[in-house]
Amino acid sequence: MLVIQGLTRRFGAATAVDNLSLEIPRGAFVGVIGRSGAGKSTLLRMINRLQDPSEGQILWQGQDITTLRGAELLAWRARCAMVFQQFNLSPRLDVLTNVLVGRLHHVPTWRALLRMWPQADRAIALSALEQFGMGTLAAQAAGQLSGGQQQRVALARALVQEPEIILADEPVASLDPRNAEMVMQALADINQRYGITVLCNLHSLDLARRYCTRLVGLAHGRLVFDDVPAALTDAVAQSLYGIEARDVMDSPPPALPDGFAAAVA
Amino acid sequence: MRTEALANLPQLRQQHPAVFRRLTWGGVLAMLVVLAGIGLLALAVWRLELVPLRFIAGLGQLAHFITLMFPPDPGPHLHLILRGIGETLAIAFLGTLGAAIIALPVALMAARNTTIHWLMRFASRRVLDGIRGIDALIWALIWVSVVGLGPFAGVLAILVSDIGTFGKVFSEALEAADRKPQEGILSAGGNGLARIRLGVLPQVLPVIAGQVLYFFESNVRSSAIIGIVGAGGIGLHLTEMIRTLEWQAVSFIILLILVLVAVIDVISGRLRAAMAG
Amino acid sequence: MSQALPLLPAAQLAPLLAAYARSRRAVFWRGLLVAACLVAGSLASGWMAEVDLGKFGKHIGGFFSYFDRLTRLEGGGGRVWTDPGEWFWGLRPWLVQLGDTVLMAYAGTLFGALGGFCLAVLGAANLVQNQPLRWGAKRLAEFCRTVPDLVFALLFVIAFGLGPLPGVMALAIHSLGALGKQNSELVENIDMKPVEGAIAAGASWVAMVRFAVLPQILPGFLSYSLLRFEINVRGAAVLGFVGAGGIGQDLIEAVRKFYYNDVAALLVLIILTVVVIDTLTGLLRRRLLEAR
Ligand SMILES: Nc1ncnc2c1ncn2[C@@H]1O[C@H](COP(=O)(O)OP(=O)(O)O)[C@@H](O)[C@H]1O
Ligand SMILES: [Mg+2]
Repeated sequence: MLVIQGLTRRFGAATAVDNLSLEIPRGAFVGVIGRSGAGKSTLLRMINRLQDPSEGQILWQGQDITTLRGAELLAWRARCAMVFQQFNLSPRLDVLTNVLVGRLHHVPTWRALLRMWPQADRAIALSALEQFGMGTLAAQAAGQLSGGQQQRVALARALVQEPEIILADEPVASLDPRNAEMVMQALADINQRYGITVLCNLHSLDLARRYCTRLVGLAHGRLVFDDVPAALTDAVAQSLYGIEARDVMDSPPPALPDGFAAAVA
Repeated sequence: MRTEALANLPQLRQQHPAVFRRLTWGGVLAMLVVLAGIGLLALAVWRLELVPLRFIAGLGQLAHFITLMFPPDPGPHLHLILRGIGETLAIAFLGTLGAAIIALPVALMAARNTTIHWLMRFASRRVLDGIRGIDALIWALIWVSVVGLGPFAGVLAILVSDIGTFGKVFSEALEAADRKPQEGILSAGGNGLARIRLGVLPQVLPVIAGQVLYFFESNVRSSAIIGIVGAGGIGLHLTEMIRTLEWQAVSFIILLILVLVAVIDVISGRLRAAMAG
Repeated sequence: MSQALPLLPAAQLAPLLAAYARSRRAVFWRGLLVAACLVAGSLASGWMAEVDLGKFGKHIGGFFSYFDRLTRLEGGGGRVWTDPGEWFWGLRPWLVQLGDTVLMAYAGTLFGALGGFCLAVLGAANLVQNQPLRWGAKRLAEFCRTVPDLVFALLFVIAFGLGPLPGVMALAIHSLGALGKQNSELVENIDMKPVEGAIAAGASWVAMVRFAVLPQILPGFLSYSLLRFEINVRGAAVLGFVGAGGIGQDLIEAVRKFYYNDVAALLVLIILTVVVIDTLTGLLRRRLLEAR
């Protein structure tokens, strides 16, 4: 279980995440929503410890992960995979090596640095790629793939970490609708098949409603909504997003004229 | 998922043999390159007698000398050293300026888009290659034989060796010039000379000036050492002080060179930024 | 053209022309100022460097007669190229010395490249948090770059004794500085997304450099290293002047003892070596640029 207590992060005078408390049981698929600048990315990056909190605690299975350092920190990051909006792969390295970066924690360092990966780890990486229909592209340079393909490579990298939780920071925001569905479906599959907890920042409320089992809404770094997707009425969404609401809802609230929907689509 | 993948290993291996090959072509090639590199290094160690024992013994000596270098102090040679530094600067200034002036027409001949004939281009390129093949220090040696000891030989050495460098970088800058302004002038009825004067040079001259400023700094460092063969500048005194083991004066001179180069670096950076902006 | 172009009336034209002239004049004065600075600098430098054009005029003939002497067989008679066997009498030992010179450049570049890579990564603000470490790496690179390799060679010859060892070290240390600076520009401009991806996946710092930084800068790094190798071959050829090994030893001896034919032969050999190596590394660098 992930327990967040009084988590705060300040950047100078600005507060990106403000006294946030949250409990997420294992195996949940939680969507984090809120307008841009609400502090969604900062929250996820603090859980992975890419950024350090100013105050508060993050507990995983009762262990405080905000104080981890050195080897223990690396071990935690290996257990807590992250998927990014821009995929964050090494474009020059081939796809398989990019996936194998997720195995770093399971492989002796010298073997990894010389790229003499054990056969078993290659098998694991390849299986993960196959699972997303990318097995035949293993030898391609990652930078040459399309966005959707790169994001599936990034998912494979996350999966081979054998993580307990996956943090996805707007994983579909740079993808076309078809690829977005594919990636969200893959995340949902991973969640159901392996019981990995998923915490996913989403911009599109439609996707959030359809894939998540629970939604968490942030505004100005504070928790303003925490319920099942069905409870997210259009009125609540309107208050969460303000003028951005039109952008994030694929089906427009009835109050809006039809023309808007066509314009947005 | 690990167990699943491992259970499928034989099947995966069959489907994607390339992934499981321990020896790939790329891997073998990389290995060969690394082995060749190590082999060459071994050859160098053997031929050049790069033995660790001598290295370690020397390090002790060096550490000893370094302790003797502090604090830097010119001793009785302050006047001599300052004059040497002045000469060094003068050599670098005249050498750079002279080389730039002479190299520009040569570069015009050596660039594809401004030359008068490909034979001319070929000849000037070979001359430039030849000049660049000889280090400034060798040129200094030659000029000392011709005009005698002293900074004048140094000026000529820096000048000649820089003609080679400038000729090359200038001609590359000329060849990289944008075609569009040139076409504009030709389409308005301009001749070849007008194209070069109005279409090429205005774009390229600022680039060239930037490069000259950039090389001035490197020439200060070159002219600091050509004194080793008697071509003027601080190098002569530096050699003397090292030979006579006056370590505090040595470190004073090195410090002076560091400061001089840093100052020039800052000034030339400012000037280049001013030209670019 | 059948019709004359319409001209503005003088009353309108004059102020426009004047305005144009005014703004040109600013440019003109700026140019004049630069020119004046250059002339003043040249005069001061000329005085400082004892430039004597009269002496130069007198000696310029000497320059050509020097080359004349270089190319005339010492035994009397014809030009050197009429008897290559006589001219290159010492070809075998010279080639060995040349080989050693290239090996010195190779070893110096190799060590310098490895060290320069390390310094560049350790000095990069986007990869290293530790500020004193970064500062130290940067200053060390700057120091090694600014002090000419021959100065290092002079010092090392005293500490390590005559021979190629101090020469290789001098080349290595100067290359370390130069490459450290060039590579740090590469490292500081990398795309940080792969770095974040690797860190988030639990990569250690070394693994992060290996998988997220190295692939990005490798072509540039190799290209700079090859360029440095070209420079070091030239540099290694003169290290012998201060007793630090290589072909320079033979060259300076030939100059000092007025063995004109040997000087010419050695210069030809050095130029050929440099041209061959430049051509080969040029080919390699072009391939690398394409890979970029
Ligand atoms: N590294 C940073 N430095 C300064 N301010 C930052 C930094 N990261 C985020 N912020 C600020 O924190 C707030 C929350 O940002 P973020 O977590 O990226 O929001 P979201 O992901 O919800 O769009 C924003 O106002 C942003 O400007
Ligand atoms: Mg964000």
